[in-house]
Amino acid sequence: MIVCVAVVGHQNNPLYLQSFTEADDALKLHHVVHCSLDVIDERVNNPKRNAPTLNETFLGLLYPTENYKVYGYLTNTKVKFLMVTTDLDVKDADARNFFRKFHAAYVDAVSNPFHVPGKKIASRSFGARVSTIVKSFGSGTTV
Amino acid sequence: MANYLAQFQTIKSSCDRVVIAVEDVSDLWLNVRQSFEQRLPVKKACLNNKARNPVFVENLPAEFIQTTDSRLRSRFPQEQYLFWFREPYATVVLVTCEDLDEFKTILKPRLKLIVQNDEREWFIVFVSKAHPGNDQATKMAKKVYARLETDFNTKRRERCCKFDLHGTDADFWDDFDSKMVDCIRNTLDRRVQFYEEENRKLSEQRFTPIWNFCNFFILKESLAFMFEVTNLHEDSLREYDELELCYSESVNLPGKHREFGGLDTGDDQAALLNPGFKALTQIIQDDVFREFEFRQYIFACQAKLLFKLSRPVEVAARGYAFVVGFSKTLALHENALPFCFREVWVITACLGLIKSTSAQYDNGIVAIDSEKEFHRLQGDLYSLCRVKFMRLAYLIGYGVEIEKSPVNSASLSMLSWPKPATWPSIPPDSSAEIMTKEKITLQAKPREKLFNIQRKPLPLEPSFLLREANRRRAFLSVGNMSELYDSVDGSGLDAHSKLPSNKSSSNLMIRTMSGPATSETSLPVDRPMRLSEIHVAAEHALKQTISDPDFMTSLSSPEEFENRYMELTKGAADNYHRSWWKRHGVVLDGEIAAIFFKHGNYDLAAKSYEKVCALYSAEGWEELLADVLPDLAECQKILNDEAGYLASCVKLLSLESSLFSSKERQAFQSEVVRLAHSEMKHPVPLDVSSLITFAGNPAPPLELCDGDPGTLSVAVWSGFPDDIALESLSLRLSASSSADEGLKAIKSSDARVLVPGRNIITFAIPPQKPGSYVLGALTGQIGKLSFRSHGFSQDGPVDTDEFMSFEKPTRPVLKVRKPRALVDITPAVSSALLMNELQWIGLIVKPIDYSLKGGILHIDAGAELKIEESQMIEIESYRSNGEQSGPTDASKALSSSSEPGRVEKVPIENGKIKLPDWASDVTTLVWFPVRAIDDTIARGTSPASPLKHSIVDGMRMIALKLEFGAFHNQVFERTIAVHFTNPFHVSTRVVDKCNDGTLLLQVILHSEVKATLHVKDVSLDLQAGFEHLGNGDGRPTSSLFPLVIAPSSRAGILFVIRLSGTKDLDELENSDSMMTIKYGISGDRTTGAHSPVPVKPDDSEELLFKISLKLKRPVLDPCLAVGFLPFSTDCLRVGQLVNMKWRVERLKDLDEASLPDDEILYQVDANPQNWMVAGRKCGHISFSKAQGSRIEIAVTCVPLVSGYVHPPQLGLPDVGEANVSCNPAGPHLVCVLPPTLSTSYCIPA
Repeated sequence: MIVCVAVVGHQNNPLYLQSFTEADDALKLHHVVHCSLDVIDERVNNPKRNAPTLNETFLGLLYPTENYKVYGYLTNTKVKFLMVTTDLDVKDADARNFFRKFHAAYVDAVSNPFHVPGKKIASRSFGARVSTIVKSFGSGTTV
Repeated sequence: MANYLAQFQTIKSSCDRVVIAVEDVSDLWLNVRQSFEQRLPVKKACLNNKARNPVFVENLPAEFIQTTDSRLRSRFPQEQYLFWFREPYATVVLVTCEDLDEFKTILKPRLKLIVQNDEREWFIVFVSKAHPGNDQATKMAKKVYARLETDFNTKRRERCCKFDLHGTDADFWDDFDSKMVDCIRNTLDRRVQFYEEENRKLSEQRFTPIWNFCNFFILKESLAFMFEVTNLHEDSLREYDELELCYSESVNLPGKHREFGGLDTGDDQAALLNPGFKALTQIIQDDVFREFEFRQYIFACQAKLLFKLSRPVEVAARGYAFVVGFSKTLALHENALPFCFREVWVITACLGLIKSTSAQYDNGIVAIDSEKEFHRLQGDLYSLCRVKFMRLAYLIGYGVEIEKSPVNSASLSMLSWPKPATWPSIPPDSSAEIMTKEKITLQAKPREKLFNIQRKPLPLEPSFLLREANRRRAFLSVGNMSELYDSVDGSGLDAHSKLPSNKSSSNLMIRTMSGPATSETSLPVDRPMRLSEIHVAAEHALKQTISDPDFMTSLSSPEEFENRYMELTKGAADNYHRSWWKRHGVVLDGEIAAIFFKHGNYDLAAKSYEKVCALYSAEGWEELLADVLPDLAECQKILNDEAGYLASCVKLLSLESSLFSSKERQAFQSEVVRLAHSEMKHPVPLDVSSLITFAGNPAPPLELCDGDPGTLSVAVWSGFPDDIALESLSLRLSASSSADEGLKAIKSSDARVLVPGRNIITFAIPPQKPGSYVLGALTGQIGKLSFRSHGFSQDGPVDTDEFMSFEKPTRPVLKVRKPRALVDITPAVSSALLMNELQWIGLIVKPIDYSLKGGILHIDAGAELKIEESQMIEIESYRSNGEQSGPTDASKALSSSSEPGRVEKVPIENGKIKLPDWASDVTTLVWFPVRAIDDTIARGTSPASPLKHSIVDGMRMIALKLEFGAFHNQVFERTIAVHFTNPFHVSTRVVDKCNDGTLLLQVILHSEVKATLHVKDVSLDLQAGFEHLGNGDGRPTSSLFPLVIAPSSRAGILFVIRLSGTKDLDELENSDSMMTIKYGISGDRTTGAHSPVPVKPDDSEELLFKISLKLKRPVLDPCLAVGFLPFSTDCLRVGQLVNMKWRVERLKDLDEASLPDDEILYQVDANPQNWMVAGRKCGHISFSKAQGSRIEIAVTCVPLVSGYVHPPQLGLPDVGEANVSCNPAGPHLVCVLPPTLSTSYCIPA
């Protein structure tokens, strides 16, 4: 189950963060997403070690902990997408596919002329779209 | 084959070096042993690795063992193969021989026998016992050695070397070493090949039933061990890696149930780095090793090799992955393992890894990348350990000690509870402990946050422990549970799989569960456990699980727990700080700060909290910031750090308003206000950029002219939840072209209270330098607190992403234009005005796109110009010709038609005129009366005295100063020249001289002005020496008047005068005639001269102009003409007589008595030195009175000197000089030649 998705701007500022837990504990997911930026930073700043993934937007598994996993995705404009899932066996292809759809939704959202670049995404339709993507995640529907 | 396992282990432990067998043929070993063993370990050896690539190995450990040694004897051939790795790698055959025959007959066959075994790698060391002094023996030894070489060396390989017992031959040792290494290498190659072959064979059988992992293991490890012994650690490691892979494949094969292990005492302590922790024989079962021990064993072997390879970073990396992976494996077997075995194992594993890797780690030699990586891994290990430790602590009831921070919640709330088969039950006789635990739980109350911030604490548990524990108790059916909880919170049991939806209800539940139960401790066994009971049960179970007393101590009391918790947190934070993962480090700093805070160590706590806050705020993670910032504020408040505290409060206020309730935000504000108005020791400047933002109007910028003040309105957004009273508010503008911020702050006079949201504040701007300005900073005072804001908001409300909003707005709010003409004043008159009369001077005051409202015009006329202040100034609107003719738009046309030629009269005081308001935007014409004063009397001109009039004479300068603008700050100064002139210029000439002495004097009046002059009367008062003819009084006939003189034209008046006789020449010279003209003028003041302003109402229109005319009497009045007649001769000579003749003619009748009637006295004047006059020099001649009568006078003269001389002159002494004219005139000088030469006067020499 995806518990949280987030969009983080190129200055590591949160642009969008939505948790999908029922409890009122989004703050811990903020923390998880925020700390995962360390991993992204490390990967971006040490391109030598990750030469083959240099041009890859999908960053893969960032954070293998015992109980949840964080997947990352980095666009060309250094906008980061993160996904926290409690599913412990996620297929890379599923994650890739998820991020692809998420990215498309984001691009649509920021193409809104009323959206100020670099500001938080407040669009409700974006939120709805993301929820749909999250719900369909792992259900085997590949688009 | 599994039977060999024990033997294999023993051999392995006893054999840790390469064995080199010594075949001591000639009993030499004792002699050479010492020097041989000094060569060990082998300093350098080139061996082949598994891939047959040469590898240089240093310090290869080796041992010489005689073949007769028991260790090498008595081995079964089968054993030899199996444990081939321990067999000698080389055989040194030590021989000596001093006799060739002996060699041939005895030694050689024996040697042949020894070396015929192909299996062995051998070489022969011939030891020469010959003393260097003994030539015979040396020679013999050489001979024998040569023989030995021919017998045993082959073309491909030399197997002999010679050792001089008494000499020191360096070459020998090199030779010896290389031969030994050759042997070792060859043996190794062969054995590797053998093992590989065996392994391959076994691997082929992997999926057959006969396959036995144990055999595979022995072979594989033998190979690995052999590599290890020969220092080929890389290869050894690879073998272990393969072994591990193979094991994980085989262990996961479905099939028979295998024991997992981990049930022995001490198993809870991970044996990740100790391969000898348990004998392998203990862990084997059905030819397969128990997973728990074996996986650890393999890892330990790998770690040992990695340490030997100096790769502690890799140990940490593999270790972390192993711990995480193995923890999952443990989870699968959890119900068979002791309670919380998994957690305990992970903790010990992490601690062990941390300890060993950091001990092995030498941070001086690794690259920066791997250093960072190493610390990151250490941090990971620490934090993993920390999480598990917290979990254990929570289980035994120290949950209240754990900070409910996001980091702890993230790690704990998604971490599932331990899943033992059955939850431990309450040990007997534990009621006291239960009471204690209960007390702790009851006494613990959530820390009250500053500002009364109420937040639901973040969960530290995946689901309620109470439910989880009770559910896992074997004797409680799920049905019972469901009923139980339905009665409490109605949420049903299905909630256990979800995350808790409402923490407050859980608290309530715990209370209700534990409250009444205290009195009923002896409930039946199937009563659900209370929380404190669960804690006690868990603690007891843990005591069973944990074998390390140290570890148990750290869970024995909250204090001990906290110490260990702190140690782990610090370890994680420190390591993360030294890695790339700064955020992890800083966040953990926050956890450390919480502990410091709890213990009253506010100073350290504040420092750490500051770091955390800085991190969150720098990247805009406001939700997280809102969680920590109140803690920081509280520290600062306690530490009396007013500056910090204020900054924190402001920061809290500037966070997104949704993050705090309005009540909380009001509390922040009141705190700020309270501090601002309190007695602060050191009032601090405060940056409120994120709280109070401002922006200019979206309209075009305010444009001001140079030197003008203005008012600028600025929108200020206040982020305070309530109105806030300010003592002052100022704005700084900065020039957009330069970074110079040296502009003075502009204070706002209005609005001292900022309402939440948008406020429009107006600022009065003093005159600024030209240029465009952008908003700089907003400063102000709240109480004694001076604040400053750089926050610019675009057009919306407070911008919360403050790190983005520091972009300076580029749009200027104020433009001050370069100095330009704002008004122009030009004289309206184009031609000269009347001198000495009160004339209107018109000034065209033309504002150039600028209002002249309230303008004051200072007029400073010079000394010779007087402004008539008794008169009113006339101001009228003015439209130039161009404006009139040009196309005018509708509004202009309308305004011009509505106010056609508006005229207003205003007074003038001290040369100042106030411009009326209506005149502020239109071009006006200001008329004011002046009188140019010229005391001199105008003079007429005549041909004899031409005009010497200069145009400057009539110029008068008027200095104008116009003060205008809102504060009379604009000044326009100009000096204009106005030309004044007399109405007429008069010139005279004598038109005709009549024979009777009458003169016709023409007086010409030139009009000097562009106005029509009406001459009404003229009178000429003649000077002495002239008189009017007839009885007129010098006035022309009255019918002549009024004489109209058009502009720029002239008129003439004739006067008939004559000379009057007078003798007083002086009087004649000095006196002037005076002409008085009475005239009127009709002219337009816009053009020039016009009729003077009437000072009094009864002033007549008639003007008077007086002009003096100088009449000159004629200089000559000849009555007689004296003519010089030409000489009769061509030239004059000295001594020659010459007749001088003058002709005197009477020109007119002389009626004056002074002249004789008919006789004229004449006289010849001559210089007696030049001339000799022969005859009479003077005499009377009679001369007829009739006009035209002539007479000739001749005088004979003799020139006396030669040269140019004045001729004699004829004078008429009785007649005035003025009455004589010389006609024709005599020469001035005459040429007198020297006398002609006369021979008679010549005197012969």
